[in-house]
Amino acid sequence: MKRRQGWLFFIIFLLTLSVYLLINYPLQLGLDLRGGSQLTLQIIKDEGKVTKDELEAVNSVIDRRVNNLGVSESNLQTLGGDQLILELPGEQNPLVASRVLGKTALLEFRTQKEGTFTDLKTLQLQRLNIKELIEQYSSAEKTQNDNNFKKFLQDDIKAIEQELNYSSASIDLYGKLIEIKKYIDKEITNLFIKTDLSGKDLINAGRRQEQTNSNWEVLLTFSNSGGEKFAEITKSIAGTNQLLAIILDGESISEAIVGSQFTSTGITGGSATISGNFSAENARELEVQLKGGSLPLPIEIVETNSIGALLGSKNILKSLYAAISGLIFVGIFMIFNYRILGFVSVLSLVLYGFFNLALYSLIPVTLTLPGISGLILSIGMAVDANILIFERIREELNDGNTLTRSIDSGFQRANSSIVDGHITTLLSCFVLFLLGTNFVKGFAATLGIGVLISLFTSLNCSKTILRFFITYQSLRQKNLYLPRNNFSN
Amino acid sequence: MKYNLELLKNKRKIIGFSTFLILLSLLGILYSTFNTSYKKPINLGMDFVGGNELRIERVCEEDCSNFSPDSVLEKLREISKNKNVLNNIKLQFQNNNKLISIRTPYLSNEESNNLIKNLDNIVGPLNYESKDSRLIGPKLGKRLLTNCVTSLLVALFAISLYLTIRFDKNYALFALLALFHDLLIVFGIFSWLGIILSVEVNSLFAVSLLTIAGYSVNDTVVIFDRIRENLKSRKEGYNETIQLSVNESFRRTTFTSITTLFPLLSLILFGSYSLFWFSLALSLGIIVGSYSSILLAPSLLLKD
Repeated sequence: MKRRQGWLFFIIFLLTLSVYLLINYPLQLGLDLRGGSQLTLQIIKDEGKVTKDELEAVNSVIDRRVNNLGVSESNLQTLGGDQLILELPGEQNPLVASRVLGKTALLEFRTQKEGTFTDLKTLQLQRLNIKELIEQYSSAEKTQNDNNFKKFLQDDIKAIEQELNYSSASIDLYGKLIEIKKYIDKEITNLFIKTDLSGKDLINAGRRQEQTNSNWEVLLTFSNSGGEKFAEITKSIAGTNQLLAIILDGESISEAIVGSQFTSTGITGGSATISGNFSAENARELEVQLKGGSLPLPIEIVETNSIGALLGSKNILKSLYAAISGLIFVGIFMIFNYRILGFVSVLSLVLYGFFNLALYSLIPVTLTLPGISGLILSIGMAVDANILIFERIREELNDGNTLTRSIDSGFQRANSSIVDGHITTLLSCFVLFLLGTNFVKGFAATLGIGVLISLFTSLNCSKTILRFFITYQSLRQKNLYLPRNNFSN
Repeated sequence: MKYNLELLKNKRKIIGFSTFLILLSLLGILYSTFNTSYKKPINLGMDFVGGNELRIERVCEEDCSNFSPDSVLEKLREISKNKNVLNNIKLQFQNNNKLISIRTPYLSNEESNNLIKNLDNIVGPLNYESKDSRLIGPKLGKRLLTNCVTSLLVALFAISLYLTIRFDKNYALFALLALFHDLLIVFGIFSWLGIILSVEVNSLFAVSLLTIAGYSVNDTVVIFDRIRENLKSRKEGYNETIQLSVNESFRRTTFTSITTLFPLLSLILFGSYSLFWFSLALSLGIIVGSYSSILLAPSLLLKD
């Protein structure tokens, strides 16, 4: 009896601790419960596995870009060796993030090959044409069904394709336009020779509005050695009609002439500006990409989930209803079938709920929808052990044993099969946790933790509470433990 | 209240019934595999094949104006650029026209944003606070599928290993048979659901199969334990002892199944829609699982 009293105090202590934990360290809610977006970024590597260093490098570039974007409370973590998960809470649009993060942002400086003057002129002209067509197509919304417009577009595309001696593979008009533009970009890039100056030589990037019009320009600041390289390169082409191209991810974003005044020293001062008709938004995105550096390996956004805040709070409410009604159903069933024993198991279940939630805030486990379903499911499994024990107690009582004895041997004899029986469920959880995706891990974690805690609550807590109950004389009548029709058996 | 299940008399009926269920499941799986519109044993959802799923609510008072899905699609085709995507778009209005749900092949974030903008122009205004959008690339889909299949195989292997260590050969074999029986039937039911109601399975379905595996074996283990215990101190014959053990643990097994079904029922009734099919799969698994633990697995142990 003494030892049981110790357990009782221990349980009360644990309960107080749980409540304290839950008040001071609130549960972490997943994005599906509070609203927000989650992006999964896949690192693309054609041959071999992504090494740890490469993952680390990609991670830090993405991290810098996310920080420079100024999204609040974002969370970036790696997953499974070649994926990254970015969480953006709240109503932040994943679109901007996906646009900025998805680009490699490989910046190159190239000088024009000699004698390609006319070639470049024609390509630049065609690029201008195609850009205009794309713009027309995009703004023309309703007119797309206008057959005249379609015909005009088709003719134009045909003319450009003939000039380029290129034919696009895409079926729809928009696809064709994009494809042709890519081809032109590639051809232009080919007219320039690589230099040893690249995005790696930058120490900073910024943006400002141009003085003459409303366009924006992006400012580059080179490191010392970068500045020297830049001076060297500009010196080599100054005063010629060879142009300097700034190329981002294979697309030339600016081609500029270097004036003859730089023939002797090149452009010194270690900085340069790119002015290529940037809008404020485009300039900011480029700035963020350049500041973060280029990605060592390209990445692709393979998954985007976004959930509105209202829906998130609805999900919490729904889960709460489900959990509470589940608990009530189970409670009624248990009390109906096992009377006082059933009541004890309901108390254990409430304890079980508190311990579980407290452990989530302690570990911490981020609660998601699948996680909650794991918790709700484990309510049913938690009573499983109680039912096993109570059935044994019933049998003992039916055999004419005293209450205390029946309870003791009931707990003792059921012990081993309870522990055994849960092993397979734990095995499944373990596998799910090891191999599952982020989403699935939440379920495995809550179900697994639930099963473990239920061993404690249904074995120890219910035994202690029951022992406490039978210290009261009035609660010792056998028919409080057995529905009457069973007792006659 | 004593239970008296006559396993001995009904052994044939039980095994016959199970065989029937298994054949029915296999039929669904085969039909789905060879049907030209699926070509898969089960209707794989966008978790596994990639795609874009969008659910968004419209802002309107009690009743929202009626749009026919076809007319909306027609308009979407007019203003959207990527024709390939729009040829494979599915659009539904639910909840008195309040909720729009759309499925398309994979879209980039940019394209998805355009789709929503266009939608807003046609049936708007939309409530972005209650938007649920998922984009899954085809590459990730394939990966998720292999991931799920590996998890299932690993878990089944681990469970078989556990059973062989814990029981002797026959017991382990029959417990495993019962397990595969349960999984196959749940899988078959979802194959049929895919054919009839075009219900799709996603990664949560794989999770439910794994959970069913763990749970159903648990039930069988408890009954087999009882049988083993009773056989050690038996007063009656082998077959009678098995029957007695099953009847002794009948209450326990049905009761635990019921207490597990209650929370699942609450999830089906009150839970979020994304958990509906998951909870249903689990419930089916638990029902089939307790049937096989109480009736099928012990019947297999009976000697003729």
